[in-house]
Order: sequence, then structure tokens, then C-alpha cells
Amino acid sequence: MRESIVIEGLSKYYNGFLALDNLSLKIRKNEDVALLGPNGAGKTTTLKLLCGLLRPSSGAAYINGINVVEERERAVSKVGAILETPEFYPFLTPEETLSYLGRLRGMRGRRLGRRIMEVIELVRLEEWSKVKIEKFSRGMKQRLAIAQALLHDPPILILDEPALGLDPRGMMEVREIFKEARKRKTVLLASHLLTEVAQVCDKVAIIDHGQLRVYDSIAHLKRKYRSFERAYLKLTRAAI
Amino acid sequence: MSEFEKLKIVTKYELLKQFRRRRLYAVVAVVIAVVVSILAGLPLLGKGYHEFGPGVDDVTAMAGMLSISATIAAIGVVFFAGDAIAGEFEKKTGYILFPNPVRRTTMVIGKYLACYAAIALIILLVYGIVCTSLLGIYGQIPIEVGGSLALSLLFAGSVLSLTFFFSSISKGAMGATVMTLAFVLIIIATIDGVLWMAGQPSWFLLSRAGDATVMVYPGFKAMMAEMAGTYGIQVGAIEYNMGLRTAAMTAYLAVCLLPSIWIAKRREMLKFTRGAI
Repeated sequence: MRESIVIEGLSKYYNGFLALDNLSLKIRKNEDVALLGPNGAGKTTTLKLLCGLLRPSSGAAYINGINVVEERERAVSKVGAILETPEFYPFLTPEETLSYLGRLRGMRGRRLGRRIMEVIELVRLEEWSKVKIEKFSRGMKQRLAIAQALLHDPPILILDEPALGLDPRGMMEVREIFKEARKRKTVLLASHLLTEVAQVCDKVAIIDHGQLRVYDSIAHLKRKYRSFERAYLKLTRAAI
Repeated sequence: MSEFEKLKIVTKYELLKQFRRRRLYAVVAVVIAVVVSILAGLPLLGKGYHEFGPGVDDVTAMAGMLSISATIAAIGVVFFAGDAIAGEFEKKTGYILFPNPVRRTTMVIGKYLACYAAIALIILLVYGIVCTSLLGIYGQIPIEVGGSLALSLLFAGSVLSLTFFFSSISKGAMGATVMTLAFVLIIIATIDGVLWMAGQPSWFLLSRAGDATVMVYPGFKAMMAEMAGTYGIQVGAIEYNMGLRTAAMTAYLAVCLLPSIWIAKRREMLKFTRGAI
């Protein structure tokens, strides 16, 4: 299987409003692709469809060749995801939350305990690992969201604005984490931050009003439009 | 990993979540307050534990009165189960939970079992207090306590199913809680009143079916008949068939839980703002 993610003619209506219009994309194994577009372009909708949180109005999506609609549980088993601005159960601690999610993915015992410590250290929440999440700031929750996405060391990462809510240092740290992760993972990252996209991904799918405008390498777009920013502005007809 | 193993994990962590919430302890506090008010209230109001009236068995009458607190506990489940399904969507915790390889059916059943385990523990606590009190006051525990406990556990399951149904169709936890309480305490009570005025049976209503938890005590039934007679109410028409009431509660449990699972499975993680699409 060369393609990790395949999207075929995916469309999604919200009460008559067309949010995603016949989107098709193929992302090969270990590729790093950014979904780039202005607010309301259809980025989050695409990621939610891929994780089975929405049902498509038409079309299909496959993860490692498994149809997400027909076999959601099997399809998402190799995926780590951050969607929207996730919230956690406030009464649990990061350790308990990660233990819960890890067990649901079949991890247990010492391996789970060791991995929980690793990801907590990676996102720098060591001092907060036994504190109830109700005391956490937005940025700390985002760090925990990153930790849960990486917990089971998935080969595919689906990330929706992973640096949202982080301070500048946090944003840099997160970029470093994903730069390291991309070496051996397939990454699909939705963002409207050009700098983030350019630093983490090689390829970009620019979408606007639910339609795919271009799917190409960032290097090629830079050459063609003289800069990545110009390419974005030209292709989306919208402000950054 | 099998879905059964996943169900055990979901139930375990949902139960942990319930034990960390203040709402659970608020329900315990209310129930204990009711028991204490019955036990302390009677002597304070000059009424002894051995003078409920002619033809009334004091022990079972008292057991029935104390068992009312178990019915209150069962209704209290609404306060910590209202957000079981709706909360995942409203508070966005579903964005973390749902992308995991677990069926929604497993998640809903796991949540149900956790909420049920929590309320069952409270009900067991109540009956522990009831038995201790009866033993202390009368030196005996009527055999009907066991039946009342079983019916209370069934009633709690019915109320929980109803709460899950409203939680599955509500946008938010508050809506689910208010709708369930309005249904149980206002709508059903109104229908019950209309049926009573029309001289029609009402055993199939959830609240009436739930009365079985105290009607199981013959002494309590006699006491209620005596009180009703005082107010000129005809109680002869009241259906005391425990089998019918048990069947009604079982029906509520199944009929409300199954649609809530089906609705939760089909529900999408939507955010109705343009910025999020």
C-alpha cells in the first residue's frame, strides 16, 4: 500500500450548505501534506470526515486502504489525531487520561506507563502529570492533545491547527516535535499559518470554499508564484 | 482487543470520572438528609415509631417511608448522567474520545454501566441505612426490603435510560437534565393526575411504576390507604400489581436505552459556525 490516505470525490453538506465540494487527494506513505486555506475553506471538515466524526454526503475516504465510513474503528486504529480545540475530562489527570486512551488502543502495563512518561516529557507536562486537567490553560490542554495523538506512535498523524493556543515558545517546540515525527510518519496537517505549513510539510493542498485549488509541492509553488505567500493569495482570493 | 475488553475500560474510567465529581456526593448528601429527616422528624413532631395507626404494621410502614429515599436517589442519577452523551458534543471531549478505535455503542453502554454502578452504590448505601435503622428501632428487618431493593435498582435503571435518551437528543447537558426532570416530575405527574381523575389506571407511567419500591411493603400500603381515606380519596382503584409495574420499568429501561445508543452512533461532531467548517 503506497497511499496512506486516499480521498475520492468527498463532499459534505451542512443543512444545504456545501462545505466540501468533490475533494480528491492521495497522500503517500511518509508524505507530509498541509491542508491550507482560509477560515471556512473545508479543512476541519475534511479531517473530521477522515476520522469518522462526520458522514460524507458523497464520496469516500480510505486510510491504509480501509474505508473510513464502512470500517471506522479499523481505519482509525493507526491514526493519531488532534481535531478542532479538543477538551479533556476535567476530573482526570494527564496520566489518567493517557492511560484511558492508551488502553482503548490496546496498550497496557509497563509499556503503556513508559510511553505515557515519554510523551508527557515530550510535550513538557512533567510537573503537571498528576494534576487535574480542570486547572490547565488552553496551551497546556493543546500540549496534552499532542501527547495523546503521539501516544500509540501511530504511522499517520491528522492534525488540525496543532499549535493553536500555544505561546511562541510552545509553537516552536511543537514544530520541532512534528519535524521529528514527519521523518517516519505520514502527516496531514490543516492550518492557515503559512510559516507553520512551510516548516512542517513538503506538499500543500490549498482549498477554498470547499474546493481543491492546487495540490503540489511547496518548492514548486514557490518557484511558480515567486513566493509561497503569493501562491496562497493568488489561489485563495482571500486574506491570510 | 475485543469490544468487551474495551467496554470494561470505558466503564472503569467513566466510573472514575463519576467518583471525582461533586454531583455524586451531592446526591448522597440529599438522600442521607431525607433518611435523617424521617428518622429524626417523627420523634421531633411527637410521633412515635410504634404508632402509625390501627391495622398498620409499624415495621413495614417505616421501611416503606425510609425506602422513599432510594427512589429519590434513583431520580438523582439525572444530575450526573445528563451529560453522558450530550457532554461529549457540547464540551468537545468527543474530539479526543471518538477518534479512537472503539464503537460508539461500546462507549454508550460503558457510560451507562458506570452511571448505573454509581447510583447502585448509593441505593445500596440507602438500604444499608434502612436495615440498620429498622434493626435499631424494631429489632427486625422485614423480608420485603429485598424486593424493594431489587425494584429500586430496576427503577434507577429506567430513570437512567430515560436520561440517556434525552442526553442523546439534546445539544447540551443542561437541556438533557432539565428535559428528563420535567418529563419525570411534571409531564408524567400531569398525565397521572388526569388519569386518576378519569378513573383510569396509571401503573404504566414511570413514576407510578417506581412506586412499587415502597408499595411492596404491606404496612406502607395500609398506611397510605388510611391516609388517603382521611382525605376522602378512593384508593381501591389503585393497581397494586407488582408484576405490571416491574414490566413497565423494564420496558422504560429497554425502550429508552436502545434509541439513545442508535442516536449516539449516528450523531456527528458538528460545530455550527462558518469558521469551523
